[in-house]
Amino acid sequence: MIQLFKVAKSYGGGTPALADINFEVQKGEFIFLTGPSGAGKTTLLKIMYRTEKFDQGQVLVNGMNIGKIPDRKLYLLRREIGFVFQDYKLLVKKNVFENVAFAQEVIGANKKRIRFKTWEALKNVGLTHKKDSYPQQLSGGEQQRVAIARALVNSPKIILADEPTGNLDPEISLEILKLFEHVKKSGVTVVFATHDQEMIRSRNHRVVVIKRGKLVTP
Amino acid sequence: MTSSAHTTLSNIKSNLQVFLVSVATITVAFSILGLFLVIFVNLNSFLTTWSKHVQLIVYLEDDISKDQRGVLEQLISTNPDVESMTFISKESAWANFKNTFSTKKSDFIDELKFNPLPSSYNIKFRPSPERFTKIRNFAELFKEREGVESVEYGEKWLRAFEKFMLFIRIFLLAVGGLLSLGLILIISNTIKLSFYSRQEEIELMLLIGATPGFVRIPFMLEGMLQGLLGGIFALALIKFLQLYIQVQFQGSLETIVRGMEFQYISQPIILILLASSVFIGWMGSYIFIRQFLSPKFK
Repeated sequence: MIQLFKVAKSYGGGTPALADINFEVQKGEFIFLTGPSGAGKTTLLKIMYRTEKFDQGQVLVNGMNIGKIPDRKLYLLRREIGFVFQDYKLLVKKNVFENVAFAQEVIGANKKRIRFKTWEALKNVGLTHKKDSYPQQLSGGEQQRVAIARALVNSPKIILADEPTGNLDPEISLEILKLFEHVKKSGVTVVFATHDQEMIRSRNHRVVVIKRGKLVTP
Repeated sequence: MTSSAHTTLSNIKSNLQVFLVSVATITVAFSILGLFLVIFVNLNSFLTTWSKHVQLIVYLEDDISKDQRGVLEQLISTNPDVESMTFISKESAWANFKNTFSTKKSDFIDELKFNPLPSSYNIKFRPSPERFTKIRNFAELFKEREGVESVEYGEKWLRAFEKFMLFIRIFLLAVGGLLSLGLILIISNTIKLSFYSRQEEIELMLLIGATPGFVRIPFMLEGMLQGLLGGIFALALIKFLQLYIQVQFQGSLETIVRGMEFQYISQPIILILLASSVFIGWMGSYIFIRQFLSPKFK
């Protein structure tokens, strides 16, 4: 589903942000992407989502050659991927339901479908009772669940999660992890970036470790 | 499209004040342009009304031969632009002249023992846009003819007026151009403010799979709507002014030139003005999109 071949990226400094990155993620697989802060996890996820460009190598996501997608066609890639941001990126002026429905609106779904899919996504993350609340009225864990619901509402084939539990306490983090695992069961490929080693040890998922921009064996 | 219109309205609502200020600015600018246009249209109509009375008078020499007259008459009657021709003999010209001044008995006229007036042809031309040019060309043709003393058609006045109209035309184009440029920048700025108030939302839209068109169209519509509303208000404002002038001053205008009315801008020009206002709105949005929004699509 995701293939990276000799990917390199530099921001112009001395050490490259990423160098010689090679790995593959199978369809329906759940992997942890880990490494210390600043190791290049976020850069790697951003490359897969094409919010960052890379200097060398090849990246294939769901059969699309990321380096060759013209800017005006980028939306096609992003509709296949649900991205969960560490800072949630919820719109404060919209309530929970509207925040999730927003992802459907921007792809031009009709009203009936928006209502149905949004309700379904909120049900999946257990937040139907909070549908009228605004982000600032929610706890960190709840906000992250809204963000996950928004990433899921367009039924993506891939979920890229950038430290989705980074700001949450261990108990809530586990809940969020379980949510992603639940998503994986429905055949979605999940790349879960985290530096929480305890969380990684508690599960049996494949682990990709990155340090100073290079892959290392765990 | 419905969704774009909905987004446009919600953009406007969240920035209503800025939107209204922009519309008001466009209204003022278009009113200035429109006023000049109204003045131009009316001067033009004045020229047309006045030109209906313009005729070419060919004064003949006293010793013109029959043959020479025949040639001149032939020239006049075969010209397709000529509507009618009247020959006024020396005698009838003198009689007319005396008649005109009969109320103010002048000793000078009575005492004059000879007829000083020449005989003439009064030539009326068919109405056409190039009437003046045709009269002028025809006059040139006659000036050098044998038996012709002189030709008369208010040439100096005509030339001065035409030059003035040309000046107004250039002036209108220059003012229109400058105002349009200013408006484009104002609209572009308003759209930018509208963008700033929703920046987070727009960036998220692009991140989660909105097409560039989905993001662009509401801004385009907003700019075009601003332009259109400004144009409509300006036209309404000018209409009120025109009605006011018509009611207040129509009497005096009639005295100056018979059959003249203070006119509004004609329908094609109204349409051109509205189309330009929409175009200017579109340009404003386009500049914003090119400079500001498009880089975010990458």
